[in-house]
Amino acid sequence: MFDCEVNVAKSCTELTQILIEPSARILAGGTDILPGMRKNSIGKPITLIDVSQLNELSYIREHEGQIDIGALTTHSKLITSPLLLQHAPALIDACASIGSTQTRNRGTLGGNLCNASPAADSVPPLLCLEAVVTLSSHDNQRQVPLSDFIIGPGRTCLKQGEYLDHITFAVPQKHTGTSFMKLGRRNGMSIAVVSTSVLLRLDQQGNIEYARVAFGSAAPTPICSHHAEAALTGKTPSAQLFSEAAQAMRTDINPIDDLRASREYRLHSAGVLLQRALQTAWHQAEMDLR
Amino acid sequence: MNKLTVHFTLNQQSIRLETLAARSLLDVLREDFALTGAKDSCGGDGECGACTILLDGEAVNACLVLISQVEGRHVLTIEGLTPDGSLHPIQNAYVQAGAIQCGYCTPGMVMATKALLDHTPQPDETQIREALAGNLCRCTGYTKIVQAVQFAATELHHDN
Repeated sequence: MFDCEVNVAKSCTELTQILIEPSARILAGGTDILPGMRKNSIGKPITLIDVSQLNELSYIREHEGQIDIGALTTHSKLITSPLLLQHAPALIDACASIGSTQTRNRGTLGGNLCNASPAADSVPPLLCLEAVVTLSSHDNQRQVPLSDFIIGPGRTCLKQGEYLDHITFAVPQKHTGTSFMKLGRRNGMSIAVVSTSVLLRLDQQGNIEYARVAFGSAAPTPICSHHAEAALTGKTPSAQLFSEAAQAMRTDINPIDDLRASREYRLHSAGVLLQRALQTAWHQAEMDLR
Repeated sequence: MNKLTVHFTLNQQSIRLETLAARSLLDVLREDFALTGAKDSCGGDGECGACTILLDGEAVNACLVLISQVEGRHVLTIEGLTPDGSLHPIQNAYVQAGAIQCGYCTPGMVMATKALLDHTPQPDETQIREALAGNLCRCTGYTKIVQAVQFAATELHHDN
């Protein structure tokens, strides 16, 4: 038994009305908030808002060169999406690495973002895709870059009465490769010790025209490494270049010592992972002739 | 704490239940319906998979589902695997393979196996290990469990 009230939202309109209550917290997949409530790690009092009936928030759509993902889309739905397999394989790899089958069948993309964990696996690939989140309230809708949405461990810029409606990113152009790499303590059910995601776009000559590099579990929030991106842009891909990017990113990340790993170990493995991720993204970009 | 009325299907039976809202599906199954196959092993963290049941055909941890979230949905527990309570081919395979020692994880393993084989009738070993990654067993070392899933896949394949 949980020590809380439970309200069931029957529509998005109703959701915005109930959300005005200061103690309200949205219950989506429940894979994080329910264990948190059992451990008393979530402040009280809480009124849970069950949004399981809002099927209209579960979708993956493409229109006018953009992909929209409804906030209540589960990780299991994401990783079996042919659209995402074609355009954002790194996001699929990231969501496939979350928890177990049971977790992925319940956990949602919106939940992973709003939970705002520094280790949130879906965030680095979405940062590389320059995703934008759409936030809705009873009288307003606004769009915020994902990089501004997560502002600290467990903290987002969601205001009282607002909910995350959907996530949008542009379909990557031709000659683009994306990748995601995660180091965990074991294969199943692991929280990232460190993770990285990369997006590389090549020009006609095969040089790097555009680069995005992001890390998870390497700072208070998942972050981009602008120094690594600058080191890569305009250059010819090579193992040497990737090694330089791995050096450059050290000025951007700031990992901590915690129960999963030390700061030093994270700094080192972030560099190793980044070089592997760049290799993968590079080969993918070379073959990407969509 | 508020109450609510939930309508759902439990092992092919229509249920209308009035209950306190802030209860997990696992608590409701065990306390209100005496369906004790699904176990609480990790204390409601979703870490161990011992409470795995099928919700609309998908494996989920019943400890992480609130009862309000099953409105209009189909719940299948290990007790509902066969209509007459006889052993399902997956259960038989676990017995034949010696994949059961203390037995505490078995109902969750069997239900995770059912979800896997329903979607992927002929899984390879990687797919089996992936599908069962959320189910902890502290006795068997998993080898015999993987064999049991392979036996079950063969058996169900022949039945069809």
